[in-house]
Amino acid sequence: MNVVVHRFLATGPLISRIGAALFGGYALAALSTVAVLASPMSKVQAVIAGQLASFLVYAGAVIWVFAVRSAPKAWTGLIVVALPLALAAWSVS
Amino acid sequence: MSHVVALMFSLAGFAALACASRRQQRDLFGGSLGSAVTLGFRLAGGAALLGALAVLVAWHGWGLALVMYSGHTSLAAGIVGAVLIVYGRSARPKFRPR
Amino acid sequence: MTTKSEQQSAGRGIRQSMSELHTWVGLLLGWVLYAMFLTGTVSYFKDELSQWARPELARLTERPDAAVVAQRIATAFDKVAPGTSQWSVRLPDDRNNSAYAFWRTASREPGQRGFAEGHFDPATGERVAARDTLGGDFFYRFHFQFHYMPVPWGRWLAGIAAMFMLVAIISGVITHKKIFVDFFTFRWGKGQRSWLDAHNMLSVFGLPFHAMITYTGLVTLMAMYMPWGGQVAIKSPAERQQLQAELSAFTQPGKPSGQKVPMASITEMVREAQQRWGHDNVGRVNVTHSGDAAARVTVTRGDSGRLSMSPQYMEFEGTTGRLLSARDEVGGAAETRGVLYALHLGRFGDGFTRWLYFLVSLAGTAMVGTGLVMWTVKRRQKLSDPARPHIGFRLVERLNIAGIAGLSIAMTAFLWGNRLLPTTLAGRANWEVDLFFIVWALALGHALLRPVRAAWVEQLGAASVLLFLLPVLNAATTQRPFWHSVAQGDWVFAGIDLMCWAFAALHLVLARRTARHHLAAPIKRRADRPGAAAIASGGAAE
Repeated sequence: MNVVVHRFLATGPLISRIGAALFGGYALAALSTVAVLASPMSKVQAVIAGQLASFLVYAGAVIWVFAVRSAPKAWTGLIVVALPLALAAWSVS
Repeated sequence: MSHVVALMFSLAGFAALACASRRQQRDLFGGSLGSAVTLGFRLAGGAALLGALAVLVAWHGWGLALVMYSGHTSLAAGIVGAVLIVYGRSARPKFRPR
Repeated sequence: MTTKSEQQSAGRGIRQSMSELHTWVGLLLGWVLYAMFLTGTVSYFKDELSQWARPELARLTERPDAAVVAQRIATAFDKVAPGTSQWSVRLPDDRNNSAYAFWRTASREPGQRGFAEGHFDPATGERVAARDTLGGDFFYRFHFQFHYMPVPWGRWLAGIAAMFMLVAIISGVITHKKIFVDFFTFRWGKGQRSWLDAHNMLSVFGLPFHAMITYTGLVTLMAMYMPWGGQVAIKSPAERQQLQAELSAFTQPGKPSGQKVPMASITEMVREAQQRWGHDNVGRVNVTHSGDAAARVTVTRGDSGRLSMSPQYMEFEGTTGRLLSARDEVGGAAETRGVLYALHLGRFGDGFTRWLYFLVSLAGTAMVGTGLVMWTVKRRQKLSDPARPHIGFRLVERLNIAGIAGLSIAMTAFLWGNRLLPTTLAGRANWEVDLFFIVWALALGHALLRPVRAAWVEQLGAASVLLFLLPVLNAATTQRPFWHSVAQGDWVFAGIDLMCWAFAALHLVLARRTARHHLAAPIKRRADRPGAAAIASGGAAE
């Protein structure tokens, strides 16, 4: 039992990071494609621009998640960026 | 035609840049060439690479030129790299660990 | 990303974590990426491979006049598919010796759209009978959607792999910042060092290309990967059409009037387009409701000489030939996307640019290949018992053989199948593809059963032999052997023969290196033992 707990504590942060990179990163990129609609661009152009930028957002998020010191810090960074994007996305939907 | 000229410029550029690196100086000339010569090589290399870009832009316009330039520089660097490897192998067989 | 490293995370630098990210992201989908890179690389000569795959279609010595050919095809369609709601033809050009058309067929079930396709002789307008094959399109499609799985799955897998690649490139750059200062470094015979140097050289020389091709690859299918903005913003059919018009020249047929009116001259319409874009720069003619009062003809601009895939077309009223609208530009974001798309496909360039694309892309393939082999080379040193490596290590080692050498065999087998399968075989095109996968599976089985070094040598050798003999097979089974092609100045056929021999030589060199390497250092415990000299066109470790 003790071993299982120890193992979980040891691999937990890594799994957390992988989750943050794969799913958190995608969520952030998806959010940015909606948030960009709040810009003064025409709707159609904004949709395309959002898609173009989304992969850079995604890649940047993954790098961030693995570059910082700890898993909680990785999540915090994603959330801090997501908040203003969510606000912008909320204003258009 | 522009391709040939641009490739020549790129090859010259990377050859000069290679001569400016410390490791290649040691391998090719048997020692450091001094900072003035190194700087000269570096400037000449940079100028030749800019020359290749200029040739392509003059011929094809910016859009196509940048794409072709990326290909030319890659190819030229690859050729210079390959030549250095082959030269290094044939010139110093005794250093080959067996 | 081991548990140990996670615990030490407080003390380690960003370079260390990026290095591990690079290693694992590169490994996890490395074989998928290798296959995507290699099939993508040969797809720069997709049209030429397709010509080769249909030796029955005569070579065009000069480019036919698009305006005349378009009219011939239009006349042919009165017989081939009378009353079709839409047909569309890609006109022959410098790289395509036939006019390739598709058209809508009456659907059996309501709501289901059917399409048919065929090749047409530009000289007569008649439909030509060529062997049933996907030709170069097989590698092209495999490159982004694989096979034996629903198309969306394949495209998602390709997208995930591309995203991994993007992360691998960025983390690789952060890890190896030094290589930009000293990027001509190559140390012979230093085992792991040499592999690292080869990998670095291949990566740095082509870095602008590798980054560009990965990002633009994602852009080609971005509407599928990132639909969210569109789902929020685009609601009405009109808006959807507006978005579509920014991305593609393909138009959906409108409603027919039911009133029969003869069509105006298609030649004249194409002439007008030729005046606008240049005589040899018309790509496609698309006709909806031919022979109806509501008929529309769109003429699309060709790909050459323009660094963008954004739609440019002229729309004519079919029955009068009157120009209804001409689309020359799209919005800023859409144009950016058009440029990125064009960069990925590389169809704009002249022959030399195409070769540059091919060569640098091949270096990218070798970059992935050296990276995969390096994973095993690096770890072999650290194995606790080198005689009996753990299962994960062994699996990677074997998958490398089948993924790298085996893929060469399978791709060559596809081309062999194209020449050997009887033309009367039902579902022939599918059999060619099945053959590719059967051979690939056999290669995997072989790699699992044989000793590692022997498997590398045998598979590289087999690929070399198959590639070397392919021109011989071509000479035996078609009217277009190498000497004939050279005499005729047919550089598509002669070029493919020559490339087969060039690749045969490459595989032979790699096979010999791997074999000799074993003899040179049989006892010394060296890092790069099995398969070490396997794949590295930029220079292999000794």
